[in-house]
Amino acid sequence: MQSIISKGKNLQEAIDVGLKLLEASKNEVNIEVIQQESKSFFKMKSKEAIVKITKLEQTTISEQNHEESTDPFKLIDELLTNSQNVMDDPVSNSVMEEESAPRRITKKADDLLGKAWVENGRLVCRCSPTHYPLVSIPDGVNVYKNNQLITEKSFVMTETDLFEVKMEMEEKETVWRVVMDAHKLNVDLHIEPGYKTTRFLLDIAPAQHIELLVDEKKEVSNTLSYQDIMGRLEELRIKHGFHQNEIIRAIEAVEPGVYTIATGIEAAPGKDGWIEFQINMDAQIGPREIENGRVDYRETKTIPNVNSGSVIAIVHPPVPGQPGRTVTNEPLPAKQTIPISVKSGKGIAIIDDKIIALESGRPHVEQRRNIVKVSIMSKLTHPGNVDLSSGNIHFMGDVEVLGEVCERMKIDAEGNILVHQTVNMANLTASGAVITYGSIIGSEVSAGKNNMLVTELGQLLGPINQDLVRVIQLIKQLTLSPGFKASDFSRGGLQPLINILLEKKFKQFPSLVREYVDKVKKGEQYLSDKIWSETANSLSKLFLSLSSEAISVDSITELSEKMQELHELSKMPVEPNSYITVPNVLSSRLYCSGDVNVFDQGSVNTKIYSGGKLTINGSLRGGEVFGRFGAEINEAGAESRTPTIVAVPEDQKISINKVMEGTAIKIGNAQYKFNETRSRVHAYLNKHGQIAFE
Amino acid sequence: MIDYLMKETEDGKIVVRLNGDLDIDSTEIVEEELLPAMEKYKKANIDFENVPFVDSSGMGLLLNIVQSLKEKGINVTISNVREDVQVVFDLLQIPEILGDETFI
Repeated sequence: MQSIISKGKNLQEAIDVGLKLLEASKNEVNIEVIQQESKSFFKMKSKEAIVKITKLEQTTISEQNHEESTDPFKLIDELLTNSQNVMDDPVSNSVMEEESAPRRITKKADDLLGKAWVENGRLVCRCSPTHYPLVSIPDGVNVYKNNQLITEKSFVMTETDLFEVKMEMEEKETVWRVVMDAHKLNVDLHIEPGYKTTRFLLDIAPAQHIELLVDEKKEVSNTLSYQDIMGRLEELRIKHGFHQNEIIRAIEAVEPGVYTIATGIEAAPGKDGWIEFQINMDAQIGPREIENGRVDYRETKTIPNVNSGSVIAIVHPPVPGQPGRTVTNEPLPAKQTIPISVKSGKGIAIIDDKIIALESGRPHVEQRRNIVKVSIMSKLTHPGNVDLSSGNIHFMGDVEVLGEVCERMKIDAEGNILVHQTVNMANLTASGAVITYGSIIGSEVSAGKNNMLVTELGQLLGPINQDLVRVIQLIKQLTLSPGFKASDFSRGGLQPLINILLEKKFKQFPSLVREYVDKVKKGEQYLSDKIWSETANSLSKLFLSLSSEAISVDSITELSEKMQELHELSKMPVEPNSYITVPNVLSSRLYCSGDVNVFDQGSVNTKIYSGGKLTINGSLRGGEVFGRFGAEINEAGAESRTPTIVAVPEDQKISINKVMEGTAIKIGNAQYKFNETRSRVHAYLNKHGQIAFE
Repeated sequence: MIDYLMKETEDGKIVVRLNGDLDIDSTEIVEEELLPAMEKYKKANIDFENVPFVDSSGMGLLLNIVQSLKEKGINVTISNVREDVQVVFDLLQIPEILGDETFI
């Protein structure tokens, strides 16, 4: 038999509740009144109606079912709240004597006592006299107790208070912007679609201490429309190169992203003018290594040759680039292309776009950026030795000496010098390369001095022109000053003013000019281009002499432009550069604007300056060597401790296979001396300006 | 054209008050009259109050006067330079050439 105890405000309510719980009608049960309701002014003392309802004639199975479906908590609650009354009441025994069914409910209810849980998104709890459940609040969740926000991380939950759980809802609008790059070639749409995040409580099993768990649902809402984009593009005056499919993708985007919605057309670069050689210009430089690793000293150079009347090269005009178009429909000009300017030297004629040899000989081409100088080097072959009987050789072309060059003899060549045997206490000067098959002993050899000179002079012109530009600026500024009369410029020229300027403001200027003028004078024979000496003349007339010739602003402006051009030109590397290739060198001085290559036993007590890379395959014993683009030496230093110095600029490396004690190396301004013999040294300058080894 | 007024003060100082533009046309007057006249004194002051314009030759003259007087041990000062003229002096670093103490 199943029976329950039910309570209500009055008897009727108590019975109704009980019947509902038992799922029975009034005539299926036996109702026993345990307590009549009574009202009192104070709620504390008011009593509810309590009834005991016993169901008649029931099967065990349905009994079980009923137990399950009954809301046990409510029942227990009632039991508890009324327990006091029940105890007091004489009829209370009946409760105690009840059958197993309510007891089981009681037991189950005990499990929930003092616990809290979340059910269907609602926070509920049961308190017991001995325990109140504790609830922890995670971030992003606000719990209100009787409409008061709980600021603590956790709180004690009671049944009597009203608890409300509120979660932060996040809503973000769609953010987007259209960005056009500086060149007006690309238009990017940056979009972050808006979204709405809803949070809800997850169900949590009953426990004495629970932490609320929150789940969230994110709903993306991209509110960007095609019209929005088009409107913005119109504002930016973008009219060209739209990518409709990218625009659509951006509108449909659910993730933040960047879409290129319009692209302009980039200007296609043109091609500078170029020169196409009709003959093989690649002179093989230096001895070649043959298959078995040996070096063939005989095959050091193959010199190209032309006959008179043959076409050396064709000059191609520059090809202009294709202009592009920006997204705002403005034309984008292509980069200006530069034509090749050809200067014809000796033995050269230029007909239309063709460079033609008038003489037979070796074509010589010198190129600095877009300026190409072509000339035909005639060749002098001297069959024997250069000695007192043959006399010195000065030749405007290549010189080949099949014998040796003897004491105190001199060879000057505008082209290359090739000596088959030794050079002994002689002097060789070539504008091109110097190659010897024999050793050089006690001699002075210089190759490409003109190139070095051009570089040096060009470097000097830099600061000179800087000053001159300032002079011009100052004159302009003076003419604008209200207190200045330019009346004497037309009569006396600028001379009086320049005299004042040189007095203080440009005190250093005359000495710079003098240096340049002296250098040009000294090297005049190596400077094939007259422009260097013309500049020197103008400078000295303006700033060094006391000539009364009227000088105008225009004339110094013109001079300044010329110097600027020369300065720029000198910074361009010359192609091809000079080089020196010798097997051995002893007690000599080698000076070269390009590479220096000592390929056999090495260099002894020799001073070498290389404007390119210095390579010594053998040993370096004594002397001072410098490689503008690095130095590579097999063995450096001498056991006799003759001072040996290897130097390179700060941005270059020194590699020595074996370096002897006492050898010094110099990189930039840093110096290092080896106190013991070392192998495989690779030295460079580190960030702190100190010499470091790899 | 330029003219000038000379006035000797009690302590044996000569004050030269220039009147007009100091320019290329002033060369003769300055070199042939003014300079020899000033050389007789131990101290000299050149007043620029009435000099509205200068040109480069005029400045050359000024440098010439001051430097040759200083060589003879005569103390020269320049005063009352107009603002416009001072701009020109500064551009050419005249104060640096003559020494800042010359300008009072």
